[in-house]
Order: sequence, then C-alpha cells, then structure tokens
Amino acid sequence: MLEVRELNVFRGATHVIKNVSFNVEEGQIAALIGANGAGKSTTLLTLSGLLRPRSGTAVFRPDAQEVDLTSAPSEKIVRAGLIHCPEGRQIFHSMTVRENLEMGAYAQLDQKLVSKTTAEVLELFPILAERSGGMAGSLSGGEQMMLALGRALLAQPKLLLLDEPSLGLAPLVIERIFDVIAELRRRGVTILLIEQNAAMALDLADTAFVMETGSIVLSGSGADLALNDKVRQSYLGGAA
Amino acid sequence: MTQYVFQQVINGLALGSLYALLAIGFSMIYGIVRLINFAHGDLVMIGGFATLALVSAGVPWPVILVFVLCVGAMAGIAIETVVFRPMRGADQVTGFIATLAVSIAIQNSTLMALSGQPRNFSFPAFMRQRIDIAGSSASLTDLTIIGLTLLLIGGLFLIVYRTKMGQAMRATAENLTAARLMGVAVNRTIMTAFAIGSALAAVAGLFWGGKFGQIDPLMGFEPGLKAFVACVIGGVGSIGGAMLGGYILGLAEILFVGLLPQEYSGYRDTFVFLLLIVILLVRPSGLFIRQTEERA
Repeated sequence: MLEVRELNVFRGATHVIKNVSFNVEEGQIAALIGANGAGKSTTLLTLSGLLRPRSGTAVFRPDAQEVDLTSAPSEKIVRAGLIHCPEGRQIFHSMTVRENLEMGAYAQLDQKLVSKTTAEVLELFPILAERSGGMAGSLSGGEQMMLALGRALLAQPKLLLLDEPSLGLAPLVIERIFDVIAELRRRGVTILLIEQNAAMALDLADTAFVMETGSIVLSGSGADLALNDKVRQSYLGGAA
Repeated sequence: MTQYVFQQVINGLALGSLYALLAIGFSMIYGIVRLINFAHGDLVMIGGFATLALVSAGVPWPVILVFVLCVGAMAGIAIETVVFRPMRGADQVTGFIATLAVSIAIQNSTLMALSGQPRNFSFPAFMRQRIDIAGSSASLTDLTIIGLTLLLIGGLFLIVYRTKMGQAMRATAENLTAARLMGVAVNRTIMTAFAIGSALAAVAGLFWGGKFGQIDPLMGFEPGLKAFVACVIGGVGSIGGAMLGGYILGLAEILFVGLLPQEYSGYRDTFVFLLLIVILLVRPSGLFIRQTEERA
C-alpha cells in the first residue's frame, strides 16, 4: 500500500533521511522505532507532503489509485486517504471539540458518511461527546490525544500515520489509545506508527523498522525485533 | 453640550468604521500569513479611485458599492499571487519589506498614471441632510457609513464563524501545519483572506472619499498606519479586536479634537501615535487578547 524507495530528505543543510526504503502492506500495523532525532517524524512529514525529498520515491496505492507522495500537494494526499496524526497532537486549541472533528472531515464530501463516522468516533471516545461544545485547548492531554485520533478517523484514513500517540500520557490512557489502534486494524485501517514506547509498539506491530540517524538499520516482524538483542539493549531497556 | 458630544460620538463612530474596515483586513492577513501588510492602506486609494471612475460613468451607488468590493478583492488577490506567494517561507523581515515595496510601487504608478492632483466625488445631495435623533442631529452620510460597516462586518463574521471556508481560515491562522494535514488547500485559503480583507479596505476608500470629499494617490498611507494602530490596540491577529480597536481609535481621535481647546486639534495624529506607544508599553498584546494567548 505504501512503497518508499531510496528516500533522501534534507532539512536546511542537514541530511536527515538517508536512502530509506520500506514497504507497508495493506491491513498491517508497521512500527517505526528509534531514538529522538533519528528522522522518524521527518519521514512522516515527507509522506504527507509537508516536506519534499531531495531524491527517491514514495508511492501510496489505496484501491486502484496511485499517488506520488513526492509531488502531490498535501490536500490531494489527504483526499486519497493518507492521514497523518502529527506529533504533539496539534489540535486546534481555539476551536471547540466539535469544530476540531469537523476539521478532520474537511476534505470529505459525503455528509452521510461524515455523520456516521462522527457517531462512531463519539461512541469510541464518549468524553468527546461530553465536551463537544467546549474549547479543545481546555482538554487534558489524554483527551486531546483522543480528539486528535478522532479527528484523524473522520478523514476516513486508509493509511494512518501516527506520530508518538503515547507521548506524555498516563499508562491507563496509553493502554486505551493502543486498544483503539488495534481496533482500527480490525476495521481494515493500515497503520504506520512511530513510538518511543518500543515495547508496546513491537507488541502490536506486524512489521517494524528500526531507524538510527536517518537510516533504517533493522527490519523484521514485530515479534522478531522484540527478541533481537540489539533492539532489547537499545530500545527495550532490558539486559541481553 | 450633550448634543455636541452626541454629534462628536457619531462622527467618531463613522471614522472608527473606516479604521475598523481597514484594521480587520490587516489583522486577518497577519493572522493567517504573519505578514504586516503595509500595502493594505493603498487599497483604500484603489477603492477611492475605482469609485471615482464608476461615479463619472454614472453607475448607480448600490452597484458601485458591489463593484468596489470586487475591485478590492481582485487587487488583493493580484498582490497576493504576484508578490507574497513566491515569498512564502521567507523570513518575516523580508515579507515586511516586500509589503513596503508594493505600497511604494502602487502609490507611484498611480501618481504617474493619474498625477498627484486631488480629485473629488461626492455622495448624492440627499446624503448630506441631517437626521434628527432624540433631539440631536447626525449626518446621513455618517449614519450610512456606520450602518453599512456594521452590515459588512456582520457578513464577515458569518463567513469566518459559520462557513467551511471560514473555519479553514481560522484553522490555518492557528496552526498552518495541522490545517494542511486536514486537507486544507492553504494557498486558496490565504487568497480568500486577502480577497476579503482587501475588499473591505476598498470599501473604506469609497466611504473615505465620500465623507471627506477628496482622494489622491497617496491617501492610503495615513489610514494604513492608523489601521495598524487600531490592530495593536485590539490585539494583532484577532478580528474582533481589530474591529473594536478601530472604533476606539476613531472615537478617541474625534473626542480628542472635539473636546479639547481648538489649538490642540493639529496634534490629533500625535495623540494617535502616543496612544500606540502607550499600548505597546502597557499591553503589547492588545487590549482584547489575554497575555497568555499572545502569538509568536
């Protein structure tokens, strides 16, 4: 569904992504793990068209379409179903919870589908229904993450890019978020997940990639990588 | 005395309407692209001369109003696409200097084309009559300006707070990256903000010419600066703040001239810019924005 080949991205003069290649297959959860500054977020920003690569290809194939992510404008990428739930949640603080959800459905034309999905999202996160008229900026961190996820779901994702959904959240909330991610896979959403919490990510992921200073250094199934000595030492905090 | 004060208040509200129309556009554009647009005042002049041309052609006034809105919108779109779009992503100072360049270019090409000779047009004679309100009187021109301005601002608020495009504009103003990730076509949104802001500025030009009876190629400079002051008073980037800032400035300016002895009236601009300095010292983020919400 997503095919990235020899991608090179610069930020200013810094070579942030170096010859990165990977695939994400339809219906899977793929995890991208690695330390801070390894280039994970930059990879996602490039895939959603906010950064342009210096070289390489990135192709998104939902259904029969084919979208060239290195040249398509971001609004076209969104309409094709590649939805990016960004790091730090980035909800619209000065808008109400309802308006934030409406922004998620901004590119959707089918109003029936939008109301159906809105109902589903509010069922998934009842707190959002309760706070519907309140300002999004007044939500707690966990609630903001639920809003960011709900907003992304309203965009009808076929491939969902999740950047650090667990960052700064309480363990119980993290569990809730990961439950939802698993539920999304059951509903057929393909997911590319960035996580600092490598244990949880590998536990959930079908495939995983380890990124170090801009390159993918290891890849394999989530279960395999969870047993890999190097991964255990560097990212799982366990003794080999 | 109360009658005199009442007249001064109406007068101040009329002037405030002009500042508000201008300040709102100024603020919208800043809010969405973080650009202090010093060419914004020149749209007043463009609106003034568009009105003059249409009046000379004998076009009826309601049609002129609509036309001037369109001319302003198109001028705004042209300036945005030709000058500001290619500079998107450049740093703020570069953008700021570019707006000064646009302003100077507009003023001087108009001077070359039309000469610096002031021109005039006036509203129809019946607009000059005075209407009695509760024992006092006010000019129909001022009342019309105030009424139409409130209508236009009401329409603007409907667009910004009740339409999908308005919601996209607010989203883009708050968080450009997130707006793009929602599928907002940012260039189109920015263009719309320029079109709306510039249309309002052009109508301010129509009102300005009708109220003061004279237009010239450099007329946009002073209202442009005053609109900037109004924005600072209200809090740059906030539409409601810009509107209130415009009215406060208009009222303050007129009451300063009207209530103090005559010999001070020449200092009205001094007063306005003193007000700017005081606001910048005391409440740099504006009267209507809480300090914590201050924008970067």
